[in-house]
Amino acid sequence: MRILQSFRNILSERHDIARSWKNQNKPVIGWNSTYTPEEIIHAMDALPVRILGSTKPTMLADAYLPRNACSFARSTFDLALRSSYAYLDGFVTSNSCDNFNKTYDLWRHCTKIPYFHFINTPHTNTQKAHDFFHQEITRFKESLEETFKTTITNKKIQHSIQLCNENRDLLKKIYDLRKRDTPLINGTETLEIVLSSMLTSKSEHNTLLKQLLKEIETRIDPPKPGVRLLITGSMMGTPDLLNIIESVGGIAVADDLCTGTRYFWTLVQTDKNPIKAISKRYLNKIPSPSRYNWEERVSHIKNMIKQFNVEAVINFLLKFCDTHMFDAPLLTEELKNQGIHVLNVEWEHTRSGIAPIKNRIEAFIETIKGVP
Amino acid sequence: MTRLQTLQGFYQNHVQPYYQKAHKNREENKPIAWVASTFPIEILQAMDITPIWPENYASVCAARQVSVQLAEVAERHGYSRDLCSYARTVIGSVLTEKTQDLPEGGMPKPNFLVASTAACDTHLKWFQILSHHLKRPLFLLDVPYNTTGADAENLEPQLIRQYVSQLEELAAFLEKQTNNPLDRNKLRKSITLSDRTSKLWLEIQDCRKNIPAPMGARDAFSAIFFMLSTPAAQDAVDFYEKLLDEVKGRARNGVGKIENERYRLIWDNLPMWFNLKFFNYLNNLGAIVVAETFSHVWTGSLDSSKPFESLARKYLPNFANCSIERRIDLILNLTKDFRANLIILPTNWGCRMMSIGEIIVKEAVYKKTEVPSLILDVDSSDSRNYDEYQVKTKLETYLKTLD
Repeated sequence: MRILQSFRNILSERHDIARSWKNQNKPVIGWNSTYTPEEIIHAMDALPVRILGSTKPTMLADAYLPRNACSFARSTFDLALRSSYAYLDGFVTSNSCDNFNKTYDLWRHCTKIPYFHFINTPHTNTQKAHDFFHQEITRFKESLEETFKTTITNKKIQHSIQLCNENRDLLKKIYDLRKRDTPLINGTETLEIVLSSMLTSKSEHNTLLKQLLKEIETRIDPPKPGVRLLITGSMMGTPDLLNIIESVGGIAVADDLCTGTRYFWTLVQTDKNPIKAISKRYLNKIPSPSRYNWEERVSHIKNMIKQFNVEAVINFLLKFCDTHMFDAPLLTEELKNQGIHVLNVEWEHTRSGIAPIKNRIEAFIETIKGVP
Repeated sequence: MTRLQTLQGFYQNHVQPYYQKAHKNREENKPIAWVASTFPIEILQAMDITPIWPENYASVCAARQVSVQLAEVAERHGYSRDLCSYARTVIGSVLTEKTQDLPEGGMPKPNFLVASTAACDTHLKWFQILSHHLKRPLFLLDVPYNTTGADAENLEPQLIRQYVSQLEELAAFLEKQTNNPLDRNKLRKSITLSDRTSKLWLEIQDCRKNIPAPMGARDAFSAIFFMLSTPAAQDAVDFYEKLLDEVKGRARNGVGKIENERYRLIWDNLPMWFNLKFFNYLNNLGAIVVAETFSHVWTGSLDSSKPFESLARKYLPNFANCSIERRIDLILNLTKDFRANLIILPTNWGCRMMSIGEIIVKEAVYKKTEVPSLILDVDSSDSRNYDEYQVKTKLETYLKTLD
């Protein structure tokens, strides 16, 4: 389908898209944690772009980072050192994990990005945490206003909430296509769609999504059916791993990824105070393992398994991603108790050692299929 | 190169009895809490709750050379070898079936656990897992990140407010767990004691500015036990008064820890607990550690008229909870004040917080002082992540360049 290529193009042309945005004298703000409210950035007519890594070697970053650092954080920092992100007017992070918090120091010290902001996101979602986070989002808004000499009105925020919510709704409709016995779209394609939504303007992305939803019912090249899998784990900035799965008899029908449902599943509820509505949404969204409410993560996964008729789970653990690695044993046990098989795979963002990983995935899928 | 008089038999005289007493308290149904570092332990001590510190227990296991086998238990349960070796050791000690072989009979089981997010992700996840396996409640202090790296006096007010308001919740949690109200007089007393302990400890550290330095890292890493595990106790004050006397006396009389002091080192963060003899080896090379960041980050003045606020001011600026500037400043000041000529930055395999950013510290400190730093790949308690030959070769080669 040609329309699917449009999403893929956004991925490959993401730096050009950002630069052309800048050419219209509008700022581009990079972000790396799903606890960063894109709505606020959107509301000042800036383009928020997710900082994604690449699978290329990271020679420049290796000079700064020890071997035991997360390879995703390493890869993004390497791109920064190579000036791939030289166009950024700002970089925003949000108290997410040690790897991100500590490489944020490196970004500040080693790049020339003019504006940095750290959103102090709590790890809990108690009332106190909500009150604090509400203030933090307000501070973030004020900091943008001051730096970019602009006013972010409530009306503008309401408008960007509407756009982002529409995007979330449409993405959910795309996910629905995989609830069917014969999914109309596969995991690789879906991931490309979600990733691209973080790299271009929401209104443009919404237009593309609507077009896709219109055309896809008559798709003449639907994906090959296979063992229905839920994918969970650390940051997944490229579809390579899903591609492997879907080339050896599996199909990713659902996920618990920060480049998937953890990013968009929860909508912003309407509230007279839009900043409050936003801060509520982000603290109550499907949690990352770095948050305290781990039960909510487990119940989200179980929910997905049910809704999407999932047969087995693959947990992709990026090396040195502590919070995911800590969660893995208990998560595996929880799911096994429900009769769901889990494969835990450690991997490096640069894809070193990908051949044995492919073998393991293939063997796992064979086991689920059972002997014919 | 013998140990300081006060430190002779430290483990048998102080650490072992501490665990024995805790076991006895357990038998007598007195409340026990497992505590993660950077937690305001002073409040627990004010309520006569026995704090047990899994991080200390992990270091005990490492020194007794059993941490690897315990870590392997955790690994068999699916915990990655790349995770913090403290966490793996302790999770292993909880999941092991051979409890009779554990040092000090294991840690006495807690009534509840308390942790804070001030140090690292590991504390949060690790204590969550312990709480799950022990089926005991966990209180988590959700500490905001000190983004500006401000010190106690310059903290952003909203951080202090957020911290203090959670201490009120903590007090309520502890009261419910122990059926005992928090007596504000006892809290003030606890704060006063901890403040005294911290001041004495800093005075001891100050003596090490002397050339030759009267005390090294081997002794410091033992003696810091009180600062961390039980700062608000008379025992701690008594012990540090004695230690201060000895160290001060040595400084006054020009008695160094080693003869012919050639290199004065700053040691960042943790030692290899399984190989504390490493510091004797350094001494044999004419090198002495004059300051550890570890000996400085746990200190802080407390004001008994403002117990909660001063606890916030003590714990929020811990460098683990701060942007890198705080760590740079600390190491910079230590380098100048203690007249060091080499900084050792150990990379701890399972620790992101400690390992990432060392290079910025190295560059920043060198730029301002021309004192170089040496990054060593080690691990706090997993000897499998430590290549002695490589580390020693690197170190000896480096020391030669300083001559």
